[in-house]
Amino acid sequence: MGIALQLLFTGLGVGSIYALVALGFVLIYRATNVVNFAQGDFAMLGAFAMVVLCIDLGWPYWLGIVLTVVAMALFGVLFNLGVYYPLRHRSFLPVIISTIGASILLENGVLAAYGPRPQSLPGIFTNQGFSVGPVFFDSQYLSILAVTVVAVALQYLFFERTLLGKKMQAVSQDKEMASLLGIPVALLIMLTFVYSATLGGLAGILVAPILFVSVQMGASIALKAFAASIIGGFGDVTGAIVGGLALGVIETFGAAYVSVPYKDGFAFLVLFVFLLFRPQGIFGERVAEKA
Amino acid sequence: MPLLELDRLVATYGKVEALRAVSMHVEAGEIVALLGANGAGKSTTMRAISGLVGPASGSIRFDGRDIGALGPEAIVRLGVAHVPEGRRIFPGLTVKENILLGGSNRRAVRRAALEADMERMFGIFPELRPFADALGWTLSGGQQQMVAIARGLMSRPKLLLLDEPSLGLAPLVVQQVFRVIAEIRQQGTTVLLVEQNANMALGIADRGYVLEAGRLVIAGTPADLRDNEEVRAAYLGGRAQAQ
Amino acid sequence: MSADARPASPTRRVAGAVVFVVAAAVTIAIPLVQPMPAYSLNLLMQASTYAIAVFGLTIVLGYTGQINLAQAAFFGLGAYSVALGTTTLALPFWVALALGIVLAAVAGAALGLTTLRLGGHYLAMVTISFQTILSLVLTNWIAVTRGPDGISGIKRPAVFGYSFDGSGAYLALCIASLWLVGFLVWRLGRSRLGRRMQAVRDNELAAGVVGVDTYRTKVAAFTLSAVLGGFGGGLFAGGFRYISPDQFSFAESVVFLTMALLGGVRSPFGTALGTALLILLPEWLRFLKVVYLAVYGAAVILIMVFMPEGVWGFVAALVRRVRGPSMETAVPVPVLPLTKETAQGDGTVLLSVRGISKHFGGLKAVDAVDLEVRRNGVHALIGPNGSGKSTLLNVLSGLYVSSGGEIALAGATIGALPPHERAARGLGRTFQNIRLFTAMSVLDNVVVGAERPGNLIDGGHGAHALALAALGFVGLADRAHRAVGSLSYGHQRRVEIARALAGNPTLLLLDEPGAGLNHAEKEELVTLLTRLKGHGLTILIIDHDMNLVEKVADHITVLNFGRRIADGAPGEVLRHPDVIAAYLGQVNARAAA
Repeated sequence: MGIALQLLFTGLGVGSIYALVALGFVLIYRATNVVNFAQGDFAMLGAFAMVVLCIDLGWPYWLGIVLTVVAMALFGVLFNLGVYYPLRHRSFLPVIISTIGASILLENGVLAAYGPRPQSLPGIFTNQGFSVGPVFFDSQYLSILAVTVVAVALQYLFFERTLLGKKMQAVSQDKEMASLLGIPVALLIMLTFVYSATLGGLAGILVAPILFVSVQMGASIALKAFAASIIGGFGDVTGAIVGGLALGVIETFGAAYVSVPYKDGFAFLVLFVFLLFRPQGIFGERVAEKA
Repeated sequence: MPLLELDRLVATYGKVEALRAVSMHVEAGEIVALLGANGAGKSTTMRAISGLVGPASGSIRFDGRDIGALGPEAIVRLGVAHVPEGRRIFPGLTVKENILLGGSNRRAVRRAALEADMERMFGIFPELRPFADALGWTLSGGQQQMVAIARGLMSRPKLLLLDEPSLGLAPLVVQQVFRVIAEIRQQGTTVLLVEQNANMALGIADRGYVLEAGRLVIAGTPADLRDNEEVRAAYLGGRAQAQ
Repeated sequence: MSADARPASPTRRVAGAVVFVVAAAVTIAIPLVQPMPAYSLNLLMQASTYAIAVFGLTIVLGYTGQINLAQAAFFGLGAYSVALGTTTLALPFWVALALGIVLAAVAGAALGLTTLRLGGHYLAMVTISFQTILSLVLTNWIAVTRGPDGISGIKRPAVFGYSFDGSGAYLALCIASLWLVGFLVWRLGRSRLGRRMQAVRDNELAAGVVGVDTYRTKVAAFTLSAVLGGFGGGLFAGGFRYISPDQFSFAESVVFLTMALLGGVRSPFGTALGTALLILLPEWLRFLKVVYLAVYGAAVILIMVFMPEGVWGFVAALVRRVRGPSMETAVPVPVLPLTKETAQGDGTVLLSVRGISKHFGGLKAVDAVDLEVRRNGVHALIGPNGSGKSTLLNVLSGLYVSSGGEIALAGATIGALPPHERAARGLGRTFQNIRLFTAMSVLDNVVVGAERPGNLIDGGHGAHALALAALGFVGLADRAHRAVGSLSYGHQRRVEIARALAGNPTLLLLDEPGAGLNHAEKEELVTLLTRLKGHGLTILIIDHDMNLVEKVADHITVLNFGRRIADGAPGEVLRHPDVIAAYLGQVNARAAA
């Protein structure tokens, strides 16, 4: 029982990372109908930024985090302008392919700049964690869960309580009507990209001390985040979060009880099953969202 | 000087030339009806005025200035509100939220002011109040039309473009909608009304224009147009070979 | 393949064949005769085997428009089959290769059958998942695949005692295979199946309505793509004699995709060019090696933005523009055989619609409508905006499933049939917002219509002749080889009608054929419709232009609020007070009946 609880805790922690990345990905999809294959690389960039700032330059963690978040926001602007904006009127295939291209560019750009050796970022916390009964609550995992909860809560408040959040929802439901009301559509789409990039970067910052920071880390997280959003219900924000958490837990339990080397495969097995029997995911596609 | 003036406007819908040299005007304080069968170009006219479609040639002047090159966000800020065909309520937002967003064109406006205006809207459409927190997609056609008009009015427009408000609505509901339109004019907003239902529109309009295949074919007062064979022919054919 | 593909004159065709044979012979002979450094041999072996796999993408993505991000997985299946087959299982090379191809085919078909109904990004996800799982299995199922250590000592084939052990000989084998596969892929693009694939890519909805079984076509494309992946992989294994799992990862699938896109995914020339560029160029730019992968990525984005048809497509478009529009040579146009239906006897009921309803949630778009269309005449369906006409037409075509009621065509119930099977029963249709296959030529668009299942034509030439005849009937035979997108709107309309006519329809459904036409074009349409009527064709037409309707219709049915409110001869219906009230509105408020 104790082991199961421990695995649950770890699984939720891992799942939170997937949830954060899936969230960013779903938001971009809802606003622009684009499937962003480079979403995971936002996490990779965030992690590498931390390595550069805190290890190579030796700056304190808090400074590194702040600068990384700012840098990722700016990167979101660049990404919007370079990858989405020129193709915004084209069909979905060129855009998907363009984001794949962006992913290659980012991964190999970092590879060229930094070399292939994986880096590691030492833990942020001096206190490793604490035990409650049989379960050891690792500080880093606790911080991941805490940040995810706060981020999701803030996002909920933003979208549900502020007018700007409502405007962004309007843009994703009917762009043309939104522009007829005077809502600055292009600006809000830019904001969506900025927010998604920041979320991705945040995921990278959080996960960096746990995994090896490598050029491929983004791709694997991204694939699982995509799987999570399909399992949760494509395009559904709650679904992305639930799907991410569920996937993290399934994967962790699978690694422990079934097989470690195939750990990465569980996500896709579950995805297959869903696509065969319930392609609309847990929460399904919302009624008449996109006219 | 007319509030809105179209001069030999030519506009396309995709590859098709939907409007061929249309000239018309709307004076401040009027309700003008734009009539014609489906496909005649009425919606294209609206879309050209509100900036969704750029004119291929000819000009559109609002309040004296040429707006042909402007986009929808700029035009709504000048005081033109377009309530498009099919209502297009945001399905995932509530009635309140839909209405509040109608004020998005107003710069530097406090939320409290918007909420006050929203209250005024519930005053004009009291039957919406019980549904204030209902999501857009759950509303009936008539309710959606009310919300769409309220949303349009929130922008405090000088000119309200209403595209086929009666579409898909039962006759009794249509009556209600048209009562509201008349009231809107009473409050000082100019209305350009596109309608397939000619008689209903002529019931409240001061003047009307009839489009057929992208051209303006008849213009006049309701007295001129009602029970006019020409108008009937524009909708139902039966006219001898012309042009 | 490309639109504006002029028919090659006999001399051009012979010249092309000669060039092809000579080029193939030369490139195959060189490695056999001329000793080459091992480095060059390896490079060319990689290029040729990769190109075979990338041809698979030409089929599935270029021709059919479906995304496949697992090509490296199929490549890996072929490679591992040859590797394990010739080492562990001690099978002859050809047997191992055949096994690999079969394995890839089965995997491709299985993936396709289960997910091609979903399409779009779902397909992308599934192919990525399959790719990832396969990579994991290759790396971790050490007992079978030897894991990350890979498999070495892969054997090469022998034929009748002639051994391909020598690198030169093996390279010649690869190049020969490349030419063969390239030729077959090129031929596929011009075949019936190839046309169906392109129809699916350009407008899947219209393809179904015109008689293409879109699901089966997509599965076929996907399976063929997997087969070529497996074939390339098998040859690859024999070439390098050592393989390891990291050569068949998602990254390689992305590389294949980039090669296809760079060259121009719609044509085998393009994909071959792209493969060559991406394998050979970096070698020549080796000093950029560290950065060139990043440049790949930037290149993909730039290609999508500026050159979506790839290098080959860009060049081809340039050439086309320089050459100017094709001068059509006068070809004798056959007569369109439309008269066969008149023998059936005037006036009997052809289409019987009873109590058809279509509900969207609470909205009754069509409410228990009865309709009878009699043979040899034009029946018009009219009604104000929102009255349910287009919905009814979509129910008749099979694009919507009805919420109740029956439809019978020539006595047989068709209500449960999907669109392509209704086309097979003789239901033809055009669309309000013209749905042509934009990347194909005018003639090819109509040929797809002629090739609908159940149409009585003799062989490939029969379809072309029939298509030309249909084009001749609508007056566009002289533009048969133009790109369909270059025609005026009115002419595109006529091409759509020709496409439907080429299918020898029993009943032709025309959805607002007059929409967007100017006065002169409408007059031409009326003339065309009158001629069709004269030949005995049965037509059901929706249109808003009452002048047009009055000129061509023998019978009119009027809908309002989803219900039928009038039905009869044009003269009476258009003066009927209920109909006038429906269109012009009621002066006094009366509750709906």
